[in-house]
Amino acid sequence: MTIVKLLLPALLLSACGASSVVISGSFPTPNIGKLPLSLAVVYDDTLEEFTYTEYSETGQEEYHIQSGQSHIELFDAILPAMFDRVVRVDAVEEGAGAGVDAIFVPNIEEFQLALPAKTRLDVYEVWIKYNMRLLTAEGDYLADWVLTSYGKTPTETFLGTETAINDAAIVALRDLASTFALSFAQVPEISDWLANR
Amino acid sequence: MNALEFRETGQGKAGGLLLLLLALTAGCTSTTVDEFRQGDTGIENHESVVILGRRQAGNRETSSDFVECVGDRLAQGMDGLSVVPEQEFLDAMFPWFEPRTAPLQPEHLGRLMVEEQVALTMRDFGVRYIIWVDGFTETLNRVGSISCTVAPGGAGCFGYGSWEDDASFNAEIWDVENYNGVGQISTDATGQSFMPAIVIPIPLIARVEANACQRLGDQLKSFVIGG
Repeated sequence: MTIVKLLLPALLLSACGASSVVISGSFPTPNIGKLPLSLAVVYDDTLEEFTYTEYSETGQEEYHIQSGQSHIELFDAILPAMFDRVVRVDAVEEGAGAGVDAIFVPNIEEFQLALPAKTRLDVYEVWIKYNMRLLTAEGDYLADWVLTSYGKTPTETFLGTETAINDAAIVALRDLASTFALSFAQVPEISDWLANR
Repeated sequence: MNALEFRETGQGKAGGLLLLLLALTAGCTSTTVDEFRQGDTGIENHESVVILGRRQAGNRETSSDFVECVGDRLAQGMDGLSVVPEQEFLDAMFPWFEPRTAPLQPEHLGRLMVEEQVALTMRDFGVRYIIWVDGFTETLNRVGSISCTVAPGGAGCFGYGSWEDDASFNAEIWDVENYNGVGQISTDATGQSFMPAIVIPIPLIARVEANACQRLGDQLKSFVIGG
């Protein structure tokens, strides 16, 4: 009886808690020509530990969406297909010693989630805004640009909200990868830098 | 006593007839297919087709299940075509056929095929035709209600529900060899579904999307083999 008394409040509390969603999926390798560049990439802590919290209409925490690791997996999949050589460094300061042409620092600026219960649409949607930075090997400014990605998944194709959020986020990440891969060399500052090399 | 027995039998017959009527009408789906040909078609044994769903629209998208169903239909039979699975093609062609980057007009294929990797992958798959499928199925006119009760002695439902499904899909056929559109086929299917509940709910579902898939697949196959 004592166990039941102890377990009951715990069960009730757990029923009220926020659900945690760790975004996971696989990403294809881009089928594009490589740029003749050697690149160092820095995943700083804000990206690595990025978590978005979705609140209910009453202000309660509803979902904790951890997508930092999935972004790192995505960049690890696409960067080696885009550049001749890619090395991962822990900080911008390590770039000079890595013998690279440039240092790339991606970051998430904003994450938005739209749930059918709130939008009255038959889709789960994820929208992410990024800030991408490209620096010289010495850490000087080369380019700073914004990218957005969008992913949606229909309500009828899955079993749970967590799966739907994950699927929509993976579509958004795939959208980021395609836009990033095709637009990198067209960012005006990068285009000028490449032309002057 | 005899009269009571007669009434019970009569009610049973009426109920049976009602269910039979519902079952028969539930099977009714009306499907129309329209074909518009812009050029000659034909396919060699070593060539294949790929069916891709359009996913540019905001609050809806062509379901991958429907795309797969149409592909399976094209691949069926003695005259079945070689169909490249959608996801396999999208992954191999990444990032060129994603919702934001995919060509919207057949003329854009020429620009895309300038990319060496794209042309090589297309050649590896042997793709002769790209078929873009755009559309969705929606449920309309939902009426009725079913209530279910659970009691210590048992459980049961009573009521009646009905709805209409409307599937509308359009397929554009692009010739990869000549970078042009060779035709369009559209299909519209509607059907009424019923769910009477007498103790247990009995779903009598109209196979609207399945019929649309079957008719579109068959028409696409004869169009591609065509002449």
